[in-house]
Amino acid sequence: MPRETGLPPGTLMMLVLRILSTQPLHGYAIAQRIHQLTADELRVEEGSLYPALQKLLIKGWVKANWRESESGRQVREYRITPSGRRQLETEMAEYRRTASAIGLILKEA
Amino acid sequence: MAFVSEWIRRLGYLLRRRAMEDELRREMEAHRALMDEPRAFGNTLRLREEARDAWGWTWLDDFVQDTRFALRTLRRTPGFTLTAVVTLALGIGSNIGMFSLVNGMLLRPLYERPDEVVAVSSRSTAPNGELRGISYPNYLDLQKGTADIFVDLAAYSTVFVGVDVGDGPRRTMASHVTANFFHVFGAPLARGRSFTSEEAQPGAAVRVAIISYSLWRQRGADANILDRQIQINGEPFTVVGIASPGFTGTGIPGPDVWLPLGVHWAHLVARDAHELTVVGRLRAGASIETAAPVLATVARRLEREFPAANSGYTLKLAAPSRLAFLPGSGSGALTATLASLLMLMPAIVLLVACLNLVDLLLARGQSRRQEMAVRSSLGASRTRLARQLVTEGLLLSIVGAAVGLLLSRWATGALLASLRLVIPVGVSLPALDVDWRVLIGTVAFSLLATLIFGAWPASRLTRRASTSDLMQHVRNEGSRGTGGGKIGNALVIGQVALSVLLLACGGLFVMSALSVVNADPGFRLDGGLLVEVDPGLAGYDEARGRQLHLALVDRLRTIPGVEAVTIASSFPFSGMSDSRDVAPFGVADARPYTDGAVFIAVGRDYARVLGLPILGGRDFTDAELAGSSERVAIIDDVLAKGLWPKENALGRMIQFLDGEESARKQPIRIVGIVPAVKHSPGNPRPSAHVYVPLGQHYESAMTLQLRTADTGAEPAMLATVARAIRDIDPRLPILRAETWRGHLDSGLDVWIYRAGARVFSAFGGIALLLAVIGIYGVKSYVVSRRTREFGIRIAIGAHPRAVLWQVLREGGRVTAVGIAIGVLLALGAGQLLQGFLYGVHAVEPVVLITAPLILLASSLLASYIPALHATKVDPTVALRSE
Repeated sequence: MPRETGLPPGTLMMLVLRILSTQPLHGYAIAQRIHQLTADELRVEEGSLYPALQKLLIKGWVKANWRESESGRQVREYRITPSGRRQLETEMAEYRRTASAIGLILKEA
Repeated sequence: MAFVSEWIRRLGYLLRRRAMEDELRREMEAHRALMDEPRAFGNTLRLREEARDAWGWTWLDDFVQDTRFALRTLRRTPGFTLTAVVTLALGIGSNIGMFSLVNGMLLRPLYERPDEVVAVSSRSTAPNGELRGISYPNYLDLQKGTADIFVDLAAYSTVFVGVDVGDGPRRTMASHVTANFFHVFGAPLARGRSFTSEEAQPGAAVRVAIISYSLWRQRGADANILDRQIQINGEPFTVVGIASPGFTGTGIPGPDVWLPLGVHWAHLVARDAHELTVVGRLRAGASIETAAPVLATVARRLEREFPAANSGYTLKLAAPSRLAFLPGSGSGALTATLASLLMLMPAIVLLVACLNLVDLLLARGQSRRQEMAVRSSLGASRTRLARQLVTEGLLLSIVGAAVGLLLSRWATGALLASLRLVIPVGVSLPALDVDWRVLIGTVAFSLLATLIFGAWPASRLTRRASTSDLMQHVRNEGSRGTGGGKIGNALVIGQVALSVLLLACGGLFVMSALSVVNADPGFRLDGGLLVEVDPGLAGYDEARGRQLHLALVDRLRTIPGVEAVTIASSFPFSGMSDSRDVAPFGVADARPYTDGAVFIAVGRDYARVLGLPILGGRDFTDAELAGSSERVAIIDDVLAKGLWPKENALGRMIQFLDGEESARKQPIRIVGIVPAVKHSPGNPRPSAHVYVPLGQHYESAMTLQLRTADTGAEPAMLATVARAIRDIDPRLPILRAETWRGHLDSGLDVWIYRAGARVFSAFGGIALLLAVIGIYGVKSYVVSRRTREFGIRIAIGAHPRAVLWQVLREGGRVTAVGIAIGVLLALGAGQLLQGFLYGVHAVEPVVLITAPLILLASSLLASYIPALHATKVDPTVALRSE
């Protein structure tokens, strides 16, 4: 049974940016991708995904365009912007620092 | 940068929200269609709302929604809305009105960047530090020596002139100014131009004038006023400019006319004519502290180069005094104290108004319980409900404040107009316009009001919006007699107490005004007339002026019915007087009288005309009146006792410590002693007087005083007198002609007390009105809640009158408690106001009985109508209603 992502909104935004950094995707595909990449461990609720996407748009870190999908359906595709990439780098660096600090405590204490 | 572009994107979402929402909907539909089990996709409406939260406009949506809903609710209950708006308009309007007054008089800068403007004065280096003016040559040297610290240094001298714009001459405050005067204040000219340096050159005698905006408006706001002529002191002057509205120069009140320095006074070129006041605008970076040493240097050089005129004097800098009638610079602590004292009264009115609204809102809230309960069970949070109620309050406040703003404009306009009528000379007063300060004040008053009357009911009403409120039956049973009624009573008590307080204060001022008018001035008013003339305004010089004064006295003495005539340089209650510090002459360790004795130059028979007995000595002789004897004076017993507490002052010598240079420190023999008279009706004690004969002091403006035999025929006699004066010189301006009693009645002193009485009574009246509305509201509400109870009681045989009495009695009890508290407050306020009152005690039984009686009567009336409703309850209807 996949778990709900109890992720803080900021972390979800980072994950979305990371996924979009390799290729542009639409909302459903982003959710699927998170699902796959975590080997079914994380499932992103639509109720968290769309507020996060709107926030990314407002911040100017992603752009959205309507496009026809392979199945001939109109989908809204998100694409990371240069400022989104910069943000992703900052956040990942921050994350790594925090994670290694926590790791140190868990190992040493 | 990122922040700015984010906001721009947000605004984009706000402006194109319909398209954006549509996009979101389509996107979610697509998502749903792609899913294996579309039903797992949550509630799309809810999801869209959550996504929209990211745009950050939810609060605006809520606000718009709340406002729309509030408007609908308020429109549905027009009676409530009207009452609330009127209440708030009165409460907020009182505050705006007083605040505009405080703003215009005390707060608003009188000109651009006031911090840079300073006054330069010449001060004696002797211990008493006496101040004097600055002579024109000194001013020029000062200007040269301080070019580094002042952008501009101007000089002016304020005098009184007779201005005639076509309806007879009126004594008017005027300033003779240097050409750069207006430039120092940031060129506050509404039209026309400032003076040129040629016009301002001493002795230039170019007759041009700049008039105040208010003078221009008073004279019909003639669009072609520029280059027209007005008469000043009997000579034609061309108007070249109109000052900006409300420009008064450095202080309040300011002159009504500005003339170039060069028009009069060829003698200004004298080094020792210390007659000018100097103001300057400091350069950027200069301050009073950094400029002081530069001024001291200039002063030392002046002392060295012109010792005769300048030895013993240095130059000092200070901020110009804002209120001409108060000492000090008129800024800082004094201003703050004065402002908060003045704002106290309307603040109480606002408090009463707010208590009233709390009443109304709580009562109304009871009937909205069901609505609240429904909304809360549909998922509205408590804050959301409270926000709704506060929004309603805010709407009411805004409308109330707008109406209040209009009310206050009208009231302050009326007050200012009435002040203009009684000021004996033409002056310019600051504009009491609505500026940003008043607008901010208005917003602050509205927010404050909303906070007081909105927050409490909102928190109370939303706290108990529970499921039980959904059931109407439980609602009616459950809330009877609890909470609401008690709070309502407490509010009524507060309102009544505050109303009694304000009414009592108003009463004290009314009594003050009455006792000022009826006070014994120390002489007999009946049968007295006075006529003020100023030959100087018609171009008379001193020698011809003196002749005219005597000729007028001789002519008036021949009018049948006139018992006695005299002439004097001032008359009691004129609002203005000259004064002198007096000391015994030739006595080494004598105690001087430094409170300033009123100084009057008089003709023959002054004491006789006023009806004063001569207590010792005699009237002035012909030689003394002509000025050809040794210096003599008649003093009153207040001054005599002040100088020689234990001995007879008659025949002793005194000297003046200030006043005109030539008469200072000269021996003056006391030849007569008269009883004291009051010079100002507001002064509880008679002031000291010193009278000198005409010959020893010349004043162009003189008051002819007559005592008539027939006290009934004063108006006719006034006309006769005016004719007689015109026979002698038809061009001579008659500045005033009135009976002594009329003069006392129309003076500035009496106006101040009357204005106090009017303002306090108005505020007291408003508070009373509000309290009555409040009592009526609470009583009506209580009666409507207890319909069932009254119905049952009447059904089982209670007489309607018993029910009526019960309601009245309950109302009376609450009012009585309020009155008791109010009387205590009024006693305290009376003590505080004691200093401002005249002839009235802090504990004034008439006031302390009348004010509560008025309230008791009004409150009984206010509860009578609801009580009457209670007796009309039809038992069957009342019982079936549940």
